[in-house]
Amino acid sequence: MTNQSTKTVLMVIAAWVALIALPSLGHADKITDFIVFASAYGLLAMGLNLLIGYTGLISFGHAMFFASGAYGFGALMQSGAFAVPVAFLLSIGITSAIALLVGAICVRLSEIYFAFLTLAFQMFFHSILLSWVEVTGGDNGLLGGIPTPVFFGVDLSNHTHLYVFCVTVTLISILIMHRIVNSPFGYTLRMIRDNERRAIYLGVNVFAIKLTCFVLSAVFSSVGGIIMALFVSGAYPDFAFWTTSGEAIFMVMLGGVTHFLGPLLGAVILTGLNDVVITYTDHYGLFLGSIILIFALVLRKGVLDFVQPHRKRSKTKTSAEGASHAET
Amino acid sequence: MSVRNKISRRRFLATSAMASVPLAAPGILKAQAADTIKVGMPTILSGVVSILGESSVAGAKLVFDEFNAQGGLDGREIELITRDSRAKPEEAAKTVRDLVNGEGCNIIIDAEASSGSFAVQEVIRGLGALCLHTVSEATPLSADPKLHVPTAFRSARQGIHDAIGGGAYAAEIAKEKGLKRWVTCSPDYAYGRTTTAEFMEYAQYFNGDIEVIGEAWPKLFQPDFTEVITRILQWKPDALYSALWGGDLVSFIDQANLYALFGQMETFSVNLGDYPVLKAVEQLPEGLRSGNRYNKSVPNTPENNAFYDAYVANSGSLPTNWSWENATGATFIVEALKEVGTDDPNQLAEAIKGRTIQSPFGVDGTLTMRAEDNTLVGYAVGYGVTTPQEPFITDFHTSSWDQILELEAEWKKRQGFA
Repeated sequence: MTNQSTKTVLMVIAAWVALIALPSLGHADKITDFIVFASAYGLLAMGLNLLIGYTGLISFGHAMFFASGAYGFGALMQSGAFAVPVAFLLSIGITSAIALLVGAICVRLSEIYFAFLTLAFQMFFHSILLSWVEVTGGDNGLLGGIPTPVFFGVDLSNHTHLYVFCVTVTLISILIMHRIVNSPFGYTLRMIRDNERRAIYLGVNVFAIKLTCFVLSAVFSSVGGIIMALFVSGAYPDFAFWTTSGEAIFMVMLGGVTHFLGPLLGAVILTGLNDVVITYTDHYGLFLGSIILIFALVLRKGVLDFVQPHRKRSKTKTSAEGASHAET
Repeated sequence: MSVRNKISRRRFLATSAMASVPLAAPGILKAQAADTIKVGMPTILSGVVSILGESSVAGAKLVFDEFNAQGGLDGREIELITRDSRAKPEEAAKTVRDLVNGEGCNIIIDAEASSGSFAVQEVIRGLGALCLHTVSEATPLSADPKLHVPTAFRSARQGIHDAIGGGAYAAEIAKEKGLKRWVTCSPDYAYGRTTTAEFMEYAQYFNGDIEVIGEAWPKLFQPDFTEVITRILQWKPDALYSALWGGDLVSFIDQANLYALFGQMETFSVNLGDYPVLKAVEQLPEGLRSGNRYNKSVPNTPENNAFYDAYVANSGSLPTNWSWENATGATFIVEALKEVGTDDPNQLAEAIKGRTIQSPFGVDGTLTMRAEDNTLVGYAVGYGVTTPQEPFITDFHTSSWDQILELEAEWKKRQGFA
């Protein structure tokens, strides 16, 4: 393991310890609820950013995979035939199969055509959720709650266990994504984003790389969906609606498209704003819209996109080795 | 340091501050009075159905204000904390968790539409708070034993009750007038499809001559009904049933008036009898058969008229079906609080289970929270005939609760719910 990898793993462990300790500061349930909710959307946004930020493919349909994770996990658990870890892995497998099929068609296209095709698939998926009432519950979603039998001593009906489980899953997912984007595969994604023709001339199988990224991106988004399903003990058609994809894109843009943790920060900010706005006013759209407008007019880019150059300039002054490269 | 750097740093600091405030604010800014009884209400306060939330809040507030004015519970007043879920089930679920865990609410009035209510039900199962579902009419919420939560109740209409009462009424009119060929026109989502199927099932149960010759399923919030209207006219039915509601129903009636549709067939509309709808229709046709939602003349008692007057004076708006349902939920809460003297959810649930309250909305002046499935019975079910002026609904035919309960029990057996 390289020094960089060791450092990353240690940082994730430190984050895990900090997050587990955080509720002891007070308002435990409120804080844990917020973190679990933000984690679910954070993984959706981070998964999406593998496509947007690292590959240059803007998907308008990624909520489809968020929903497939939630519905797959929920339906498998309701069947009573699977333990939590098995249902978890199977629902990821189901999402991968869907993503492989959808991605094989979509990644042949680029720019607006790719975006619209992913949107079309998402609406198709949303229609299936509404129509296939026997399996999905139609408009009402998966009813009756999601049973979570104890596994390895973990009882997800206990809120503390659920919190620790979600935090652990989220951090492991983030660690895996970090490894992916810093691997040769990750650098190939950037090359395709920056100059696809050049990548082809260098012998890169662009279709295969894009498709792999599409599936990986869907997998991490589906893990977000599973966390959400566990949190609300259900799955709803709204998870697959285009507005959820829109929110995920906004989280990516808000947090910063060029920084690895940007989408996670975007999810935290948007979820936090949402909590504040609905606490103090019924005019949700007006206030949130105004706040977002201020963000957009002042920053004109994501929060971490903005912070990163400052950090680089600071490092340039203090280190003879020069600034570290932007993580993208 | 260059000017550019100075500006950038200032911008950076401002941005950081903006980003951090929302995250810290929920925990530090909101100071609540410690000695109040907190009742949380997730509902829909924005978007095209915001009237749902507004009239729900107004209905509950009317009861709580009166309770507080009378001194509360040994001086402890009820504080109603509302949250906008924006009609998103996951937001409703999160909001309920926040109200219970963050705000300290032991009591939740769930004024969500059906999908949100099912989400709330599952959260309540885990949290153990007292919950009154005050809007959802979806029958399985309380009828399906798998969904049962001991501390959750429904103080709203239930689809199957209206279907039985409405079906019996429709069958009787059909026999009188020889209405055999029926068509339906309902919104294309779970509520519209379920309500329509149940209504027609019972209409045919009571009158075997009824035949459904066409079904139209306009999309929810569809602005243009021309295609639907022309299709209905082409079917040349004797009667039309519709579960359209709110703005969709207003648009449908206004547009159907242009085609003189209502002169060509008998129309049965389960959701027409709400003041905002009746007043929003440009030219309300005479003689439409309207299901009861809320009307101050149904039942026509001094108590119901007094509720109407107090509601209008308090909120400045006209009461809706959601208003009486939330007022009823709030009344059960207040009555239970008075009995047990604490806001402990389990004790309150015990007090509400099987409880009968005096109510202006009951057909016999009372409403009961049925113990076997924690749902409301005894409210006014039935149909009347529209008239363009106040009271808008006349010749109201009240359905028999003996008949409703008997057929509901059979229906539950068929569904495997009993």
